[in-house]
Amino acid sequence: MLKGTNITKCFGGLTALSEVNFEVSQGEIVGLIGPNGSGKTTLFNVISGLHKNDSGEITFEGQRITGLPPHKIARLGIGRTFQIVRPLMDLDLIQNVAIAVLYGREEINTPRLARDRAEEILNFTGLASKADHLPGELALEDRKRLEVARALACRPEIILLDEVFSGLNRKEIEGAIHLTFRIRDEYGVTVFMIEHVMKAIMGTCSRVMALHNGVKIADGDPEDVANNPEVIKAYLGAAYAER
Amino acid sequence: MVTPDSKSRRLVFWVLVLFIALAVFPWLGIPVYFVSLLFTVFLYVILATSWNIIGGFAGYLSFGHVAFFGIGAYTTAMMINGFDLSPLLTIVSSIPAGVVSALIAVIVGYPCLKLRGPYFAVITLCFAFVVDLGVKNLDILGGPEGLWLKSMDLPIDIIRAIFFEVMMLIMIFSIALGIWTSNSKFGAGLRAIKEDEEVAQTIAINAPKLKIEAFALSAFFPGMAGGVYAYYLTYIHTDIVFDMMISILIVLMALFGGGGTWLGPVIGAVVLTLINEGLSTFVRAEFARIVYGCLFIGVIIFMPNGIIEFFKRAKGVPPG
Repeated sequence: MLKGTNITKCFGGLTALSEVNFEVSQGEIVGLIGPNGSGKTTLFNVISGLHKNDSGEITFEGQRITGLPPHKIARLGIGRTFQIVRPLMDLDLIQNVAIAVLYGREEINTPRLARDRAEEILNFTGLASKADHLPGELALEDRKRLEVARALACRPEIILLDEVFSGLNRKEIEGAIHLTFRIRDEYGVTVFMIEHVMKAIMGTCSRVMALHNGVKIADGDPEDVANNPEVIKAYLGAAYAER
Repeated sequence: MVTPDSKSRRLVFWVLVLFIALAVFPWLGIPVYFVSLLFTVFLYVILATSWNIIGGFAGYLSFGHVAFFGIGAYTTAMMINGFDLSPLLTIVSSIPAGVVSALIAVIVGYPCLKLRGPYFAVITLCFAFVVDLGVKNLDILGGPEGLWLKSMDLPIDIIRAIFFEVMMLIMIFSIALGIWTSNSKFGAGLRAIKEDEEVAQTIAINAPKLKIEAFALSAFFPGMAGGVYAYYLTYIHTDIVFDMMISILIVLMALFGGGGTWLGPVIGAVVLTLINEGLSTFVRAEFARIVYGCLFIGVIIFMPNGIIEFFKRAKGVPPG
């Protein structure tokens, strides 16, 4: 459904992504791992149109999306969250989500109906009781849930989750894993997620890709990727890979 | 028991009474000073309310909004002189003035709205200077001499009353636009852009298009108001209709009342115009400027979200 071919992205002299190929199929939960600075978020930014790639091509459901503005890409059905949460700070939760409903793919154009829909989505993400709070009053876990709610409100086909699990405690991670499955199963949304928390990766992903210095070094079963010498080398150094 | 419905019906009733009272005001033989004072209030309500669409809702602080007012004034002046229009046609002739302003906003907005924050503020400021200088140097527009409008063959009282009514009508429409914006999908999109434009785009908001629409709308009513104002003055000059002070006043008024709400700029414009005029007339103009400056500093420090928000919070109503 989402496919990238030879994606390259440079920032000045730094090659953030180099000839990266990837594919995500409908209904999958795919993980994207890699050490800090390996290009994971850059890849998401390229997919969602916030950055333009220098070469390569991305297609979504057979349609070329490379070079399209971000709002068109969102319109086609690619939603995303941000690693450093970016709620609309002066608007309460329900407004945050209702705006996404209004401009999303459901064609709900009346603010009142959008609010009703937003309430359902907040309910789905477990934020219903805080609907009239401002994002600033939320703890990190709930802010991450708000990111997810806002992205879901556009009714995407695929959602790019950028480190939704980082910074959460053990119990919160359980909740987030549960939510990830429900996104796929109840909303029918394919999930492509960047993650560092191995527990979350192992618990949710059917497939994992690993990036290192902008190059894809592994792609496959989570267990295999986690034990791949290249991946261990990238995270821990060559000495550990040989053991 | 007061239900929300009967409460809002009562509100509508009083607003109607207010507008009818305002509408008959110039026909009551009240001293001209008060009529023209009210006319000025209307003008600033239009300017601040319109500015609010791009500045308040979308967060793009235009510091050159006087340009649209002036462009409207010159458009109407040229039309009057070119086609011999009667003041009875003010409503009709101010519409093209608004359209020209809006079109120029689209052309100027296309490149300028790619800039954000202070850069947008500075470039709009420059835009106003460029238009001012351009008009000063175009002989066809009267150049540095200004433009005299053809005199009108009606009693001055009637003419004044017509302008008053038309200005009021434009004001009502501009307030209606503000109310609509604050309750519509359009306004919601602008709010998202103000908060975080990148995020707005990732939730499928076509930010570039929405910003240009907002800028054009916010230029339309000032253009119309400029058209009426040109008639009213019968003589226009770049120093009057492109006065940078007006640009600054518009921003002050909207932010003083509360940007991003429809009522804020209305209150801001009414209060500040009355203070300004009152002090200039009954004390001295310099004193008015000092009071203005102090007021502005006070507002920025103590009520950064405008007086509406301040009083709401004082009453314990949550913001939003």
